[in-house]
Amino acid sequence: MKKNCDDTERMARLAAGDTGALRELYEKHGRALLRFSSAMCRSRQAAEDLVHDTFVALLRGPHLFDPAQGTAFNYLCGVLRHRISRHFRQQKRWVTLVDDDSAAAAHDASPADEIARSEVSAEFRRAMLELPLQHREIIALCDLEELPYHAVAAILQCPIGTVRSRLHRARALLTIRLASLELVDLADEPPLVQLS
Amino acid sequence: MTESLHPQVAALLGRYRRELRDTAPSDALDARMARLVAAGREDIPRRRPPLRRAVFWAAAAGLGVVAIAAGIFIGMRLERGTPAARVAQQEAALPADFSLWPADSVALQIPAEYSAQGTLVAVDPNAHSTGKRYWIDVVVSNDGTVRIDRIVPAETKRKKGAPDGITLQTP
Repeated sequence: MKKNCDDTERMARLAAGDTGALRELYEKHGRALLRFSSAMCRSRQAAEDLVHDTFVALLRGPHLFDPAQGTAFNYLCGVLRHRISRHFRQQKRWVTLVDDDSAAAAHDASPADEIARSEVSAEFRRAMLELPLQHREIIALCDLEELPYHAVAAILQCPIGTVRSRLHRARALLTIRLASLELVDLADEPPLVQLS
Repeated sequence: MTESLHPQVAALLGRYRRELRDTAPSDALDARMARLVAAGREDIPRRRPPLRRAVFWAAAAGLGVVAIAAGIFIGMRLERGTPAARVAQQEAALPADFSLWPADSVALQIPAEYSAQGTLVAVDPNAHSTGKRYWIDVVVSNDGTVRIDRIVPAETKRKKGAPDGITLQTP
């Protein structure tokens, strides 16, 4: 609770013009936001750009944050989520020269990132990036960031029931995708999804 | 909902989660953030708020409508505002016998004879006739049109009550 009060106070200070509060918010939440952004984006550069844009937006309109609606982290996650969504909408306007999404994902990742990741993790990341944005974000928030459902519901601005059903479907799609990449063996497990 | 997660998927997710935990902002991002903090709100290029943008576009649309309406109004005034005196002046400038409809015409009788080629050609009325002579009635209207009314044999024409001879059908 004190943590939230601190953030609320920082937001109030930022609204009053104290940019030091912005630095504190970045130091506190920057890594988590970058993790979420990295899980969502193909390239590290894009992920960092989007995190930077999120803090620019916060600096522009700190008064838009309403403590009654949720925590500062949830608010920042919501802003970042909108930025990511816009980023992918803008990317759709450009023609990709490589048709295969996985090949594009591999191309966009920097060599350092590729070396750092194990082959299995790289395949897993590709499978994640092939999921629709809606499903990718729910897995990123619930399974990677391990946020509680009510926090995810606040970030996505939807009911908790929607979070649950969306997460169920996202996991099922991810499982099928991983099975197609032979990272998961579904032979000894019952099918998890009923495809409509 | 964890029961819906496949154990192998859960393991992969855990592995990926641990790798993501190591993700740290790059020095470039830290530097950008430091510049952002140092610059403050005043130095950020401000975007127009949505309401101001809406007002701007509404004003532009309003100006456009006003410009079009003014154009239509001025055009109507120019069209309707032609003084009656000017119209009368234009009418007076026209020739007295000018008419838009062919009300007057002149009828001519041209003597003609068949030539060796089998066509009717005009001949001198005072010249001695060697062949059969015809009168060609030509009507010239004042709109410039010329119409052959009829062709009658010369001797037939002179007899009172005789048939008219060849009569051309005009549309």
